[in-house]
Amino acid sequence: MIGLEDERTKDMCPICKTDKYLSPNMTFLINPECYHKICESCVDRIFSLGPAPCPYPKCGKILRKNKFKKQIFDDILIEREIDIRKRISNIFNKTEEDFPSLDEYNQYLEKVENVIFNLNNGVDKEKTEEEVNKYEAENKIEILEKSMRESQKNSDFTKYQEAVERLKQEKLRIQKQMEIEDIQYQKQQQQELLDKLSSSNTANSDEIIKQQQSNMQKRSQFRKRQLQQLTSQLDQNFSKNNPLTKKEVDNEPKAPFTPFQGDRELKKRYELLPIPRDVDDLLDIDNHADETYQDPYVNKLAKNKEYLGAGWRLHTVFERALDEAFMGLGCFIEKEKMVS
Amino acid sequence: MTTAPLKYSKSKKVGEGTYAVVYLGTQISSNRKIAIKEIKTGMFKDGLDMSAIREVKYLQELKHPNVIELVDVFSATNNLNLVLEFLPCDLEVLIKDTSVVFKSADIKSWLLMTLRGIHHCHRNFILHRDLKPNNLLLAPDGQLKIADFGLARSLGNANEDLTSNVVTRWYRAPELLFGAKHYTPAVDMWSVGIIFAELMLRTPYLPGKDDVDQLDVTFRALGTPTEQIWPNVSMLPQYNALRVYPPPSRQELRNRFSAATEKSLDLLISMTQLDPSRRCDLTQALLHEFFLESPRPTEPEDLPKKKEKRVKEEDDEMNKRFKV
Repeated sequence: MIGLEDERTKDMCPICKTDKYLSPNMTFLINPECYHKICESCVDRIFSLGPAPCPYPKCGKILRKNKFKKQIFDDILIEREIDIRKRISNIFNKTEEDFPSLDEYNQYLEKVENVIFNLNNGVDKEKTEEEVNKYEAENKIEILEKSMRESQKNSDFTKYQEAVERLKQEKLRIQKQMEIEDIQYQKQQQQELLDKLSSSNTANSDEIIKQQQSNMQKRSQFRKRQLQQLTSQLDQNFSKNNPLTKKEVDNEPKAPFTPFQGDRELKKRYELLPIPRDVDDLLDIDNHADETYQDPYVNKLAKNKEYLGAGWRLHTVFERALDEAFMGLGCFIEKEKMVS
Repeated sequence: MTTAPLKYSKSKKVGEGTYAVVYLGTQISSNRKIAIKEIKTGMFKDGLDMSAIREVKYLQELKHPNVIELVDVFSATNNLNLVLEFLPCDLEVLIKDTSVVFKSADIKSWLLMTLRGIHHCHRNFILHRDLKPNNLLLAPDGQLKIADFGLARSLGNANEDLTSNVVTRWYRAPELLFGAKHYTPAVDMWSVGIIFAELMLRTPYLPGKDDVDQLDVTFRALGTPTEQIWPNVSMLPQYNALRVYPPPSRQELRNRFSAATEKSLDLLISMTQLDPSRRCDLTQALLHEFFLESPRPTEPEDLPKKKEKRVKEEDDEMNKRFKV
C-alpha cells in the first residue's frame, strides 16, 4: 500500500494536487533552501510577488523565485550535495599552482572536503557556515582573481582544441586535393601514352611504355615529398602560434632515444663498388659488368626473373660475403668474456 | 662415469609439443628459474628432429636482450635437453586478454623490442621464419624475447633453394604464398608488420582459413600485386592472380586502424609492402620517425602484464596479511 501511495504522490504537486498523469506538461522545481518539490505553476502563483514562505506544512522557509531550479538528480540528497559542492568550490577556488608543495595542496583539499561533509551532513553546521563566510569575506579579492584566471584558462583550452581541429581539417583537405590532381594527371598521361603509341611504329612501343612508367614513378615520389613538406610546414606554423604546444616539448625526454641501444655497426669495414639495384639494370647486368664485380656465376643468377620476383638482389650477395669475411675482426675474446 | 654435481632441478611439466616436453626448473648455482626442453629422441628417422638441431645451432650463436637465452645444452640417458631462460608469458596471451588495455606507447615498446631482436638475427644472416605473437615471449621484467628458432636458418649459398613452406599461415609473406624459393630477410619483416597490425586491432589481421584463402585475405586487405607494383611477381612458381583487388587507399587504412597516427601508418605500410624488395629492412624500420614521435615507448618494466598473475600476487599479499 505504501509503495502505491508513494508512486501516486511522486507525480503530484502537493500544493495544487495537479497530477502528471492528467497534465503531462507539468514540471517540478525545487529550491536549494529546503528542496521541497513544487510544480511550476504553483511557483509562479505564490512567488511572483516577491519572497514568500515555503507552502509545505511545518517548513516555512522564506524562498525567492529566482532560486528555483529543475531537479537534475533523482536522489534529492545527491542534488543537495552537488549544490553545496558548487557553492563551496566557488569560494575555495585555489588550484595546485597556488601551493608551493603537493602536500600543502592536499591539506587544502582535505579541508575543503571537510567543510562540504559538515554542511552536507549537518555536523557543526552553523560553525562551519560561519567559517565559510569568514573566509569568503577575508579573501574576496583573491577569490575573484582566481575565478577570472580559471575562466581564462578554459577559454584558452577551447581555443587550442579548435585550432587542432582546424589543422587536421586543413591537412585532410590538402591531401584530398592532391589525390584528385593525381588522378587527373594519371588520366591525362594515359591518354598521351595512347596517342604516342598510335602515332609511333610498334618497334619502340615497349620503350615508350617503360619511359612513361619511370616518369610516373618519379612524379609520385615528388608528390609524396611535396605533401610531406606541406604538412610539416603546417605543423611548424601551428606550434609557433600556439603557446600550449610548446609546453609539451619542454617536459620531454631526459635521455635521447636510441633505436639500436648503441648496438649497431655504423661504419662498414669495406666499400662496395656500385652494384645495380634496379630491376632493369640487373636484367642488363652484362652491360654493367665492367663497373662492378666480375662474377659470371652470381651475375647469371641476378638475371633470373624468379629470383628477382622473390626479392633476391645481387648487392645483398656481395654485402653478405664481405660482412662475413670481416665479421669478428676487431673483436677481442677476452674482452667479450668480461662483458658477459 | 662419475656423477657430476647437479646443476639444475626439474620441478613440474608445463607443456608438451610434438617433439619436446618442457619442464620448469631452477639453476641450482644461481637459484634462477629456467625452462628445460627435453627433446624426444628415437621417433624420427634421422635420430633427432630437425628443429631441435636448428634451435641449438642458432641460439648458441645469438646473444641479445631481445632473443631468448640458451643457458645450456646437456644430454642425459639418451635424450637431449635444452636449458632456456624461463619466460612466463607471451604476446598472444596479452592480445587475447581483453581486460588488458594497450596504450599506443606500449605497442611501440613491444614493436621496438621485436625489431631489435630480429635486427640482431638478420645482421648475423639468420632468418627466423616463424614470427608470430605466440613466439614473442615476455620476461617478468617486461623485456620481450624472440623464441622458437625451430624453423630458423642461416642464408647459404646464393643459389641455394629455401623451402617456401615456412611461417605460420597468417603471418606468411606474399612471396612465400607464391612459393618463392629465393626469398630474403624481408619475410620476417612482413610477419612483424602483421603483428604490429594485430597489436593495434587486438585481433588477427589476415586470418586465412587455408593457403588459398590466405592469398585472398591478404590481397583483399592490401591489394592484388601486379607486374607494375611488383616486377617479376608472375615468375614465382605458384603465382596466380585469383581475384584482382585494388590496393587500399590511405583513407581506408585510416578507417581500419582508427587509433593509428599518420607515422605509424607509414611504418605499417612500408613493413607490409607486397614486393619484398620494396619492404623496409630492419635498420630502416628502427630508424623510422614513428619511434621518435610522442609518446615515447613505454619502459619495459611498466608494460602491461598478465592479469592472472596480479590476482595471484594479491592472493599472496592477502595470505601474508592473514598470517600477520
